[in-house]
Amino acid sequence: MSLPVYCTPAERIGHACYRLFCYSVLFFLIMPILIIIPLSFNAEPYFSFTEGMLNLDASAFSLRWYQDMFTNPQWLQALKNSMIIAVASTLLATTLGTLAALGLARSEMPFRNAVMALLISPMIVPVIIAAAGMYFFYTSLGLAQTFTGVILAHAVLGTPFVVITVTATLTGFDHSLTRAAANLGASPARAFFQVTMPLIRPGVISGGLFSFGTSFDEVVVVLFISSAEQRTVPRQMWSGIREQISPTILAVATLLILFSVLLLVTLELLRRRNVRMRGIRE
Amino acid sequence: MSKAEPAPGRQLTSYVSFQNVQKTYDGDNLVVKNFNLDIAPGEFVTMLGPSGSGKTTCLMMLAGFETATHGEIYVDGTPVNHLAPHKRDIGMVFQNYALFPHMTIAENLAFPLKVRKLSNAEIEQRVKRALEMIELPQLAGRRPGQLSGGQQQRVALARALVFEPKLVLMDEPLGALDKQLREQMQYEIKHLHERLGVTVLYVTHDQTEALTMSDRIAVFNEGVVQQLATPTELYEQPANAFVAQFIGENNKLPGQVSRLDGSRCQVRVGNALVEALPVNVAAAGEQTTLSIRPERVQLNPVEGQCDNCFDARVLEMIYHGDHLRTRVQLMDQDQFIIKVPNAAQRLAIAEGDRVRVGWHSRDCRALDAMSA
Amino acid sequence: MRYQATAPSLLPEASAAPAELPTGTLKQQLRRAERRNRVKAFLLVLPLLLFVGITFVGPLAEMLHRSVYNPLVADSLPHTIEALDDWDRRQLPGEAAYRALAEELASLHQNRQLAKLASRLNAEQSGMRSLMTKSGRRLARLDPPIDAKAALLKIDRRWAELKYWAAINNLGSRYTLSNYLAALDMRYDAQGDIVAQPENRQIYQSLFAKTLGMSLLITLLCLLLGYPLAHLLATLPERRSNLLMILVLLPFWTSLLVRTSAWIVLLQTEGVINDLLVGLGLIDQRVQMVHNMAGTLIAMTHILLPFMVLPLYSVMKSISPSYMRAARSLGARPGYAFVRVYMPQTLPGVGAGALLTFILSIGFYITPALVGGQSGQMISNFIAYHMQTSLNWGLASALGGLLLAAVLLLYYLYNRLVGINNLKVG
Repeated sequence: MSLPVYCTPAERIGHACYRLFCYSVLFFLIMPILIIIPLSFNAEPYFSFTEGMLNLDASAFSLRWYQDMFTNPQWLQALKNSMIIAVASTLLATTLGTLAALGLARSEMPFRNAVMALLISPMIVPVIIAAAGMYFFYTSLGLAQTFTGVILAHAVLGTPFVVITVTATLTGFDHSLTRAAANLGASPARAFFQVTMPLIRPGVISGGLFSFGTSFDEVVVVLFISSAEQRTVPRQMWSGIREQISPTILAVATLLILFSVLLLVTLELLRRRNVRMRGIRE
Repeated sequence: MSKAEPAPGRQLTSYVSFQNVQKTYDGDNLVVKNFNLDIAPGEFVTMLGPSGSGKTTCLMMLAGFETATHGEIYVDGTPVNHLAPHKRDIGMVFQNYALFPHMTIAENLAFPLKVRKLSNAEIEQRVKRALEMIELPQLAGRRPGQLSGGQQQRVALARALVFEPKLVLMDEPLGALDKQLREQMQYEIKHLHERLGVTVLYVTHDQTEALTMSDRIAVFNEGVVQQLATPTELYEQPANAFVAQFIGENNKLPGQVSRLDGSRCQVRVGNALVEALPVNVAAAGEQTTLSIRPERVQLNPVEGQCDNCFDARVLEMIYHGDHLRTRVQLMDQDQFIIKVPNAAQRLAIAEGDRVRVGWHSRDCRALDAMSA
Repeated sequence: MRYQATAPSLLPEASAAPAELPTGTLKQQLRRAERRNRVKAFLLVLPLLLFVGITFVGPLAEMLHRSVYNPLVADSLPHTIEALDDWDRRQLPGEAAYRALAEELASLHQNRQLAKLASRLNAEQSGMRSLMTKSGRRLARLDPPIDAKAALLKIDRRWAELKYWAAINNLGSRYTLSNYLAALDMRYDAQGDIVAQPENRQIYQSLFAKTLGMSLLITLLCLLLGYPLAHLLATLPERRSNLLMILVLLPFWTSLLVRTSAWIVLLQTEGVINDLLVGLGLIDQRVQMVHNMAGTLIAMTHILLPFMVLPLYSVMKSISPSYMRAARSLGARPGYAFVRVYMPQTLPGVGAGALLTFILSIGFYITPALVGGQSGQMISNFIAYHMQTSLNWGLASALGGLLLAAVLLLYYLYNRLVGINNLKVG
């Protein structure tokens, strides 16, 4: 977007300021995340760059915090718990959310808006309120301090994402495709699994990834309804940040950033695949 | 299912038969009102009409995506109202092709064959043949999104034919193509139909398309078939004012029947009396619309050649290459069009000239009084 | 084939006859088919509805119930409450009430249930904790006194004051609004009327005001930073903007805790920014930028900025450049064209982004808890405090109920203005 030749000097200066401002905002967005990564290789237990690091002295860098994390049974247990909870809650959320989205996409769905609003509400209601309520309710059901309880709680927090992504995929869905499948002789079940499902799969998977990410990053509900036995990675980080903040946190944070990059890349690949499959030309 | 005994009034030779079919979505308004149609095996029938006239609904009922609220539809003697769409064995080309975007072209073509559990070798062979038929064998591995509109159209056609249905439905299949491609595809479909001998029921709102391709055309308006006839008949002998106006260009002169005797009638238009062919009038005194095709009107006719001859004034002449479209003022009408062939001996007329125009009474049809 | 011969019924005359309309039973059939389709669609949604109902709406309902349900005093001191039934609140209650209280205090002390009750009453009326525990302890040692009133007054003269009795009476009913009153810095006085809390105990009204103010400020900051950025992303060529979009999406996808700890690392007194500022000689004294309100504002703006940029971007992306070109061709200067033609079209995006950001920020818990210190605390943090530390669950529930009401109101607005179907993620 280069400026046309007829621009006045004032316009040029204004445009430069606008560009500079935007790039500063981008810097503000990304800088905190990028700064964590080198600091996690700090050989000293500080949260700032040491003299040695600034001079790129190899001895100022080390993997000791990573080592610390991978030898600490608490972190390992937390990682295992997080995986179990995230996978189970994602499966639950994705199944229920996809089914619901299929129903919501039908034109005959009664009270569509109200139902949709209710199903999205776990994403909107502050998680602290949900967590407080869950503490009371799950305790009375005997679900507090169990894996089942945490999984159910995380699943319900993840379903709005699945509903939103799958519904979005279905709104662009060409219903003559299922008609074509029926016309070509496919039974309704076959038409669903061979035509509908492959086409909405990107939406289902990205909804699942959102749900997984939500569970993997969730700490408030875990704080309220879990015991030490269900300690997850974010829970462990939480006490790390609150109590004995150590650079190990930065090592974990770096790994979590890596994890987000992977999620982001997967989503982008899914999006491209979706675009390609639907034959939308860019 | 065994062949059911022919329903009363049904022609034995028909392959598809709509009998007294009605359709309503809300229980109050009929989208299709008492539709009857018999299609002979191997026939190419087009349902032509403006959008919302009920033609697509009829097609969808035959395919099984809509249910008739009244009446029965037979395919090859079997009533199909209670047959699920996927059990009907009817090929269909959808308006937007409905090619499965996540499958390659070959996979799309193989889909109906796989569903029918054909052997892999058979499937491969048939897909290959189908691709050769549409002259696109090099595109087998591509996805629909990578194809041009015309190519997608051909694939959709091939997919509807690959499982060798006896009946193929086409729902405005050429609507998304540009003019030139559309004309080319019209001929391709027509030739394919002639070669394969399948029965085709075709839906369009484009009259040229219908006239070019069909054996017979059913003209729809407001849920009712206005006329069912061959293209020639439809154009030459429209049964009512709607058909006359919808098919081809048409000069309309509103008037009143002053005399009616058998095969001739006289109609008063303004101050003039016009000799006409009674088509849709029952008695003297009725309101009527006279319909005259612009190419059947002669400019300065030789005396005695026409039994209708009137004075007119040339308002406008537009050059159309093969003909000159001439707008004249006639009987207080200033939208009367005459097509003057661009022959070697071009008539020396200019805008503002006074001329004589004439036509044969057999080319002037007295139809129903149409408000439009 | 002549049409007259083959299809007589197709002639206009035939169709001109009034078409037979479907009969009443047909209408019923249509309606039944419609209902069947509705049921089918609903059955697909039902499992999730039930799931959300049980695992999410159930807990919220339970919390709301707890915010008004207050069985502790009524269950612990049933006879006392009964004896106070016809108390006029103007003079001290009668002997019966003193006797019931003395008996119940003694037995509660023996059953070790007094502490909980005392602490709940103390939340209503300060001084109640010591008064109750002291009385219970002493009474348990005595034989049942003949004159309960004298005995109690001998233990503590405060039993001759109306306000302590009023506290017991106020909390005596099972359903009460006292939690909500407390959450709004109000209480029942000795006469049972609603009055404001004494000034030194007023914290929640200003806390709500602070939460709203901070959320508004954060929303405004996000809009200020996000609007130009979204515009840049929407107008740059595809390749460039996709690249820059990563810089927005990566923070969006990065763990909240990671981003929050990043800000701690950056902003703390011994942190990177202070190091940099001191190193550049810009400051001599290291600045406290975290564990206060500034820290909360900075970190939350950073965290919520993508929620502003993404809806703005998607709206701006859909605005055809031809509008601006048309405005320019009609003679408008760039600034004028931008303000009068472009900006009005971005309003839906501004509304969507601002509402979403505001909704998310008024209920934010993690970031203020970690970087907020004392001054940066929001309403959520007090809910957590009453849930986990003070164990005043009734008050926590009432605060939660008020916050929930605010969020639902905003959610309703969002639904009306933006439409829930336009909510996008990622």
